[in-house]
Amino acid sequence: MRKEPANKLSRKGLTVWRLYGWLQTALVLLLAIGAGALTFFFDWPWFIYVIAVAVVVIYGWLFIYLFPKIRWSRWRYEVRESEIELQHGIFIVTRTLIPMVRVQHVDTAQGPILKKYDLSAISISSAATVHSIPALAAEEADELRNRISALAKVAEDDV
Amino acid sequence: MSEPRYKLHWVTVVVESVKALKEAILPLVVVFISGSRNNESGNWFLDNWSLIIGTVLVVYLLTSGFIKWRRFTYWFEDGELRIESGLFVRKKRYIPFERIQSLNYTEGIFHRPLGLVKVQVETAASSGGEAEAELTAVTREDADLIKKRIADGKKRKVEETGEVLEDGIDHAVPNEEEPVEKRVFSLNPKQLILLATTSGGIGVIFSGVAIFLSQFGEFLPLDKVSNELAGLIKFGVFIIVLLVLVGLLVAWLLSVAMTFFSYYGFTVRVTEEELIITRGLLEKKRTTIPLSRIQSVSFVENPLRQVFGYGRVLVHSAGAAGDGSKIQLFPLVKKKELYEPLQAIFPELDLREPENKLPKRGRRFYYRIDFMWMIPGIVLLGWFFYPYGLFSLLIVPLVMAFGVWQHRSAAYRVSGSQVTIRSRGFSLETSYTMRKRIQSTHLRQTIFQRRKKVATIHLNVKSGIGVHDVRLRQMDVEEAEYLLEWYEPSRECGESEFGCL
Repeated sequence: MRKEPANKLSRKGLTVWRLYGWLQTALVLLLAIGAGALTFFFDWPWFIYVIAVAVVVIYGWLFIYLFPKIRWSRWRYEVRESEIELQHGIFIVTRTLIPMVRVQHVDTAQGPILKKYDLSAISISSAATVHSIPALAAEEADELRNRISALAKVAEDDV
Repeated sequence: MSEPRYKLHWVTVVVESVKALKEAILPLVVVFISGSRNNESGNWFLDNWSLIIGTVLVVYLLTSGFIKWRRFTYWFEDGELRIESGLFVRKKRYIPFERIQSLNYTEGIFHRPLGLVKVQVETAASSGGEAEAELTAVTREDADLIKKRIADGKKRKVEETGEVLEDGIDHAVPNEEEPVEKRVFSLNPKQLILLATTSGGIGVIFSGVAIFLSQFGEFLPLDKVSNELAGLIKFGVFIIVLLVLVGLLVAWLLSVAMTFFSYYGFTVRVTEEELIITRGLLEKKRTTIPLSRIQSVSFVENPLRQVFGYGRVLVHSAGAAGDGSKIQLFPLVKKKELYEPLQAIFPELDLREPENKLPKRGRRFYYRIDFMWMIPGIVLLGWFFYPYGLFSLLIVPLVMAFGVWQHRSAAYRVSGSQVTIRSRGFSLETSYTMRKRIQSTHLRQTIFQRRKKVATIHLNVKSGIGVHDVRLRQMDVEEAEYLLEWYEPSRECGESEFGCL
C-alpha cells in the first residue's frame, strides 16, 4: 500500500464544514416547514409530517455530523520538493499527484466565513487542471503558497 | 523607421460578404418567403416589404465587407505583426513574432483563380476555433513575405538574447532555404472513398434535412396534395416512407460528398519542428502544428472500421485553433501500415501493443453501475406494457456483454517515460502519452473498488484550453500505485525499459 500524504487540514476546517452543514440544513428545514404547512392547509395525509421530519433529521445528521467528519479525516496533503500530493473524497477516494514542474501558479483565497475562522484555501493550477486545498490556517496557507511558488520556479523539467 | 503598410486583396470584399450572407441566409429566406404571400393590399411598400428589408440587408452586408477591406491594414514593426481594422471601433492588434506559433493557409474557391490565400495566425492564446488574427485574402507573394518576416524576426530575437550563441555558430545562423519537408502520409483514392462512406457526418446532415423540412413544410403546397390523396391513405403512407428513405439516401450521399471534398488530397508532411497537413478539393487547407505543442497521440478504431482493420490517428495539441485542439492526423489508416508514418513523425514513441491486461475481479464494475438505470427501466416497462415490456430484460445480457467487452479490450504498457493506455468507450482508443506531457494524475477508488483491490487511474493531458482525460478503469490497485510512482518526479525510475515496474 502506498503511504498516505503526511499533513491534515486545520481542525477549524471541520468546524467550518459543520457550519456549512448547519446552513444547508436550515434551508432544508425551511422546505420541510413549507411542506408541513401545505399538508396542514390542504389536509394531506399525516405521514408527510413524518417524512419531512425524517428528511431534516437525516440530512442534518449526514451533512453536519457524518460527511464533514469523514471528509476531514480523509483530507490529506503533502508538499514535497518535486511534487504535491493530495488525498480526498468521501465515497470516492481520489489521490492526486502534481509535479512541481507542472505548477503554473498558486493562489490563496478567503471568503467571509473562512476569514472569520482565520482560514485560507489554496488553489494550485497546472496548464490544464486546478487543484485546491480547502482549509488551512491563513498563515500556514501563505507560507505554503510561497513555498510552492518558490519550488515551482526551481523545478527542472526532466523531459 | 516607417514601415510599409499592406492591404488585403480586393477579393476580401467578396469573401467577407459571401460569408456574412451565408450566415444570414435563413432569416433572409424566411423574410422573402413570408413576404411573398400577402401582396394584395395595393400599397407598394406594404406589398414589397420583404423585398425592401431583404435588399437593405444585402446592401448592408456588402458594404460591411467593403468597409472591412478598406480599413484593414497590417504591417511589421518592432518585432511585431501589427493589424488595424474597423470603422467606428478602431481595433489594433499587435502580435510579437515570437508568440506566433503557426500560420495556417486556406484557399477557398474565390482565392484560387487569383492565386490568393487566407492566412490565419495562431498563438498560444487562440482557442475555441478562433485564430488570433485572420488575413482574409493576400497574394501568395505577400503570404511568403509574412512568413519570412516572422521567421527573420524570431531569429533576430534569438540572436539578441545571446544565450544560444555560446554553443556554436550552427544554431545562431540557421540555413536560409526552406526546411526540408518529408511526406509521411497521404490518403489514396480508395481510402478516401472508404473514409467518405463510413464517416459519421450522416447524422449531422440528416438533422439538417429534418430542420429544413420542418422550416419549409408549410410553404410546400401540401394541403392541395393531401386533398387528392385523401382516398388513398395507404398510398400516402407508402409515399411518406419512400420519401423518408430517399431523404436518408440523399443525406448520406451529401455527407459522402462533403467528406470527399474536404479530405481530398489529404497529405501530412513533417519538418524538423512542425507538422504540415494539407487537404481539400474546392477549398484547400494547409494547417501547421508545431511538434512541440503536441501533447498526446491516440489511435482510434470504431468497431465498424476495426472489422476491416482500419482506424484513425488523433493528436491533442495545446492551444490550436482552426481544426480545434483534437486534430485528425491520419483520418483513415490501416492498422498494419500505421507504424511507419507514425514513427517517422514521432521517432521517440514506442508503438508496441499494450499487453498488461486488467485483473478479472474488476470486471463487474464495468457493467454494475448500469443496473442503476436498467432495473427501474425494466420494472416500469414490465409493469405498464406487460407482458411485452418484459422483453426489455434482454438488455441486461447485452449491457453485461458490452461491459465484458470493454474490460477485455483494456490494456496498458509502461515503457521508459511513455505510457500506453488502451480502453474502449464504444470505439477502441489507444493513447500514447509521454510523462512530461501529463499535467497531473489521479488515482480514484470507491469503497467497493477498495474491497476488490482495483482502482481507476486518470492522466490529465492538456488539450487546447481544456483537459484530455486519459483513463484506465479497474486496474489492479498495486499496479495503479506503481503508475503513480512512475509519474512521481522524486522517485528514481530512470529511463529503463520498464520504468518503475
